[in-house]
Amino acid sequence: MAAKWIELVTGSLEQKKEYRRYRARIDALPEPYVTVAKAFHRYFMSGAAGIPEDDSVVTMLRDFVELWERAAADGTPVRDIVGEDPVEFADLFAQAYLGKRWIDNERARLTRSIESAEQTDRSVEQTDRGEQP
Amino acid sequence: MGKQATEMLKGILEGIVLAILSVRPAYGYEITAWLRDQGFSDIAEGTVYALLVRVEQRGLVDVEKVPSEKGPPRKVYSLNVKGQDYLAEFWRTWSFLAERLEQLHQGGK
Repeated sequence: MAAKWIELVTGSLEQKKEYRRYRARIDALPEPYVTVAKAFHRYFMSGAAGIPEDDSVVTMLRDFVELWERAAADGTPVRDIVGEDPVEFADLFAQAYLGKRWIDNERARLTRSIESAEQTDRSVEQTDRGEQP
Repeated sequence: MGKQATEMLKGILEGIVLAILSVRPAYGYEITAWLRDQGFSDIAEGTVYALLVRVEQRGLVDVEKVPSEKGPPRKVYSLNVKGQDYLAEFWRTWSFLAERLEQLHQGGK
């Protein structure tokens, strides 16, 4: 999943450039924001938060670095941004973006399986009552 | 603000944010500050930011970038027509829930 994402950002030249700009902006953040932003970045790349894997990931990373640039400019304490639970914040942030994710196929598969099982179930019920399926 | 209140708020915070934006356009920090003034003390700025991203992604708000003296431009959010419809539905849902819960609270009358 994370590998797929790397493939995507290294896919087109424009995305590569965009990604390099993003990394440079992260590196330019003062402490403690740079450490915090990198910790979240690592979590996003692990695939745990379910970040989008299409173009909207570019928007997501841009918004993400802007959040920390804003916090650094205002001197907002890290905890005021992140809240009590960093994991919850990371997941909420990643999930806010529309876009395709690897998990979508599995979710669609589960939904289809249940629908088809439901149909089979209905035919069995009808047969039990002596009706034609 | 207790843990129970924080849990309950999760499902309705998006509606609250849209309701604030229906009064006037605002940027993220203003919304967080307003919420804290109102006693929603545990709401992190990042949570509000993520919700603003969410409503932006779903086309419920318009975003205007305003240059800032220091740091990146500030994003000012305003409720658009789609957002107004969404908010109207939020209030209908809220009224339904509040009414039923009040009945339950009064002993199922």
